Amino acid sequence: MSDLSRRIAGLVLLGAALALPLALEDFWLQLGLFVMATMVGAVGLTLLVGVAGQLSLGHAAFAAIGAYVYVWATSEATPTLAGAGLPAVAGLVLAVAMAALIGLLFSPVASRLRGIYLGLATLGLVFVVRHLLLNLDDWTGGFTGRSVEPFTIAGFSFSNRDPDYLAVAGVEFEGLHRLWYLFLVLTLLACWLGANLRTSRTGRAWANVRDSETAAAAMGIAVARHKASAFVVSSGYAGLAGAMLALAYGRLAPDVFTLLVSVDFLVMIVIGGLGSIGGAMVGALFVTALPLVLTQYSDVLPFLAAPGSGGLDPATLSRMLYGLAIIAVLVFLRGGLAGAFRRLRGGNAPTAASGAPDDTGGTPPTPPTDPDHPVGAQPVSSKETAR
Amino acid sequence: MRKTRPALAAAAACLFAVTACSTTEPEAAGGGDSGDIETGSGVTDDTITIGVLTDLSGPFAAGAAVQVTQFQAFWDQVNADGGVCDRDVELQVQDHAYDPQKAVSLYRSMSSDIIALQQVLGGPTSAAVLPLADQDSMYAGGVGWASTALGYESNQLPGASYSIQGANAVDYLVDELGVAEGSSIGVVYFAGDYGADVLAGAQHAAEERGVEIIPQEITPATTDLSAQASALVQDGASAVILGAAPGQLASLAGVLASQGADIPIVGMNPTFNPALLDTPVADALLADTYSILSVAPYASDEPGVRAANELYEAADPDGAIGWEVPLASGQAQLLRTALEGACEAGDLTPEGVVAAMREGADVDTEGLFPDGLDYSTVGESPTRTVYVTKVSDTAEAGLELLETYEGPSAQSYTFG
Amino acid sequence: MSYFLTQVLNGLSFGLVLSLIAAGFAIVFTSTGVLNFAHGSVVLAGAYLVAVTQPTIGFWPAVLVGILGAALIGVLINALLVRNLADPNPGTAAILMLGVDILLLTELTRRIGNRVLPLGAPWGADVVRFGGISLPTGRVLAAVLAVVVFAGLWFMFSRTRVGIGMRAAAADGPTASLMGIRLSRTGATGWALAGVLAALAGIFLTSFPSPGVVPSVALSAFLAIPAWVLGGFDSVPGAVLGGLVIGLVTALTVGYERELHFLGAGFGEVVPYLVMIIVLLVRPQGLLGSKEAVRV
Repeated sequence: MSDLSRRIAGLVLLGAALALPLALEDFWLQLGLFVMATMVGAVGLTLLVGVAGQLSLGHAAFAAIGAYVYVWATSEATPTLAGAGLPAVAGLVLAVAMAALIGLLFSPVASRLRGIYLGLATLGLVFVVRHLLLNLDDWTGGFTGRSVEPFTIAGFSFSNRDPDYLAVAGVEFEGLHRLWYLFLVLTLLACWLGANLRTSRTGRAWANVRDSETAAAAMGIAVARHKASAFVVSSGYAGLAGAMLALAYGRLAPDVFTLLVSVDFLVMIVIGGLGSIGGAMVGALFVTALPLVLTQYSDVLPFLAAPGSGGLDPATLSRMLYGLAIIAVLVFLRGGLAGAFRRLRGGNAPTAASGAPDDTGGTPPTPPTDPDHPVGAQPVSSKETAR
Repeated sequence: MRKTRPALAAAAACLFAVTACSTTEPEAAGGGDSGDIETGSGVTDDTITIGVLTDLSGPFAAGAAVQVTQFQAFWDQVNADGGVCDRDVELQVQDHAYDPQKAVSLYRSMSSDIIALQQVLGGPTSAAVLPLADQDSMYAGGVGWASTALGYESNQLPGASYSIQGANAVDYLVDELGVAEGSSIGVVYFAGDYGADVLAGAQHAAEERGVEIIPQEITPATTDLSAQASALVQDGASAVILGAAPGQLASLAGVLASQGADIPIVGMNPTFNPALLDTPVADALLADTYSILSVAPYASDEPGVRAANELYEAADPDGAIGWEVPLASGQAQLLRTALEGACEAGDLTPEGVVAAMREGADVDTEGLFPDGLDYSTVGESPTRTVYVTKVSDTAEAGLELLETYEGPSAQSYTFG
Repeated sequence: MSYFLTQVLNGLSFGLVLSLIAAGFAIVFTSTGVLNFAHGSVVLAGAYLVAVTQPTIGFWPAVLVGILGAALIGVLINALLVRNLADPNPGTAAILMLGVDILLLTELTRRIGNRVLPLGAPWGADVVRFGGISLPTGRVLAAVLAVVVFAGLWFMFSRTRVGIGMRAAAADGPTASLMGIRLSRTGATGWALAGVLAALAGIFLTSFPSPGVVPSVALSAFLAIPAWVLGGFDSVPGAVLGGLVIGLVTALTVGYERELHFLGAGFGEVVPYLVMIIVLLVRPQGLLGSKEAVRV
């Protein structure tokens, strides 16, 4: 695709992302918030796993740290719960910084281990952090968690209040609409930074370390330091994602950050295509949105048993379709969704996207369960926000 | 990514140029009037829609399915009898699979189409949804019995909270099962709002009654309680209170019996499942195991329970039976009372339903729940009375009703 | 003292069951390089097959069905999916196994439902008593069986052509292939072996003192991950040692929970992972892992 058409496609997508809150219902807005929050986390993880070649199963732990630091920083102290009462922006910065700092503290482990070994060591982090969240209840509220203050800048609140009523083009802008734009800005920023980081000196050094530590060391790259720095950056991203998740939920509890969340982040970047920022974003959309949309709309499918009747009910089916989709992408699509997109784009004009045969040979077509992945310049109902 | 900056600027310009922003609210948004009744979301001229957010594909799928079946049967019967407020009641069932993210999204999707939530199943899922429902003044029933839910005005707890169950368990052990003052009682509980609440109630009661509590925290993944049981035997526990699930009950009872520890086990509402009586530990369970229920057991003879069971057997003749059947009917009955109250007050809106529910100071459920449920005070358990049942192979659904019970420590327990 | 011994024996016997699962992880990893996230579902599948077939064909034939079924599941996963990955590497393979796990676990959960399926094991709720200590018979059998199985594995890997071939393939796949060892065959053998071990572990995890087959049995595979990792990723003896360490540490932490209360409630649930992290900090290759598995 030419540079011009890339720009046009990007602009159209951005315009769609800006306009969508005018048309979407609450379900889609909430879904969009979750998708954008997980996009940020996925971009951070793809820098670590895809670019620097270190597997991490501890992403949820860092997201939890970011989320809880944000909530602690922005809440007023109460008799039972600690809080710093800082402005929201400071809370966000603190959340990222603290997650990155904990990442730094863990980096002696990270720089000694590689690949799958590091992945399994970080798996332990999820359980350790969970134990702390449950037991440090003066800060975390224990199992039941604590509520999240709305994000506020200069008296403007990203919630249903302050101002109590705000309408744009006749559509009332409630908390979800307002948060959408905040999240859009944060996501664009995070992805832009991620893309630049990937092509920067540091990013190329990470890739060298990934490909061969010996060769990287021979070229004068400080291997241990770069492994640690990748880990720190990725932790910071997770921290931001965690703070965004906190805002999207409105309430935090340790159960929001289970091992399953770590695993979901990994699924996102692998099916999106390792190392690709756009792939991570599409992967986040796929993993976060697909199960929800399947659940929401599976009752349309006629042959299913009613919920609770003991037959193959919509929820079970949606879970199975999700599992099948993961398997299908990994078995049929080289380079994940991003790889498939690249091949599709490489051989065809950007407009001739609808079911065009793949000319790279041997790769079967995209499976039908694959949801709106960005083909050409058709934003359709995709809430993909930026590439 | 190079294109983002100009694009952002352009978009910002568009936003300000094209759109007309406004911060003044137009005349009373939402809510229509039909006749002399004010209506809100989820209500049309001929239907009322209520939501069920449950777990049909996660860890609680099977028990949840029983409740959904029973809800459906209950409301079908209500509709056959003329409905509520001259309208048919329709259920909108969604499955969150025990995932808080799904639960929040699904709540957002249904909140504008429903007048009340019949059920939000599961600890983490209801913890995520309750604050949102409370903000929207949306009635939320069926979130279990954790005291943490009591603080929400829009929540209706179906019977006594877990803390009251736990306190009653200690009282019953001391008063009826011969646990002497000065002895110790083990409390094996799940980490989380359920287990912690049971422990809080038991600890309060232990102070009142002069016994000592030995806490043992576990998680749902702990299915072999050998180590916990040995520790309790070692510490000389003379009874065990269990705030966990059926799998843990079976393991605990089996190991205790195998070590020759002949002590009573008292489970909470979710702790027993009749299927346990088909396992090798059935004999151990039949010996000395009790379950404290907040809802009448399946084997109760109260008219409300008999009607609920008949309804269920007609709806699903082969379905699994258990305390879920009367519970689902009881919850539906509570919501029906609130809906009818809102209708009489002429305010069939989500707020109206919550207000009507809070006015209920003496709700009658024909024996599904203890008499005199009182919802007038936010933050208080609606009752302090529970049902004491004993595991039995002759009673329906494996639990024989011994008595309704309200111990002194359950009465003196304070929330807050 | 007998209390301490009881907890130690509890821990060690449970640890051996964990070892069976951990060894499955290690064997699959060394023979095909896959981090098998679906292992827990295979454990559950094995136990489920025993539970549903034993009422009609009896317990011992049902055990055979469970073992063969779990092995077959493993072989099929490998042949149909792992070998057909678009980008064969450890990362995509691990995620592929997650997809498989979701499918298997969803289907098994749906089939089991609210029930607690009894396993019908002939040892029921029996206990073995000696010197003031009592242990469930099932656990004693599990420990004996695990020792026999591990002796068999040791014999296989050190004395038989198949086992030596598998080790060669694990150490250096391309060279082994050049020397006439068929990697497809060693891979299939590895997956089958892991399935057998998973089914055996599943049987002991679902018989007394556990109530029966419930979906959460699949979670216990996660407990075996620290055992596998701290033993060393590519070492079956390491997996055995790791299982024993994790079993022992967990049992003692739970058994002395009151004395350890300052570490927070439920400390027994995290202690395996803490031990794992600490061991990896001191010895990145694990207790018995080979040095070259980690290139620092």
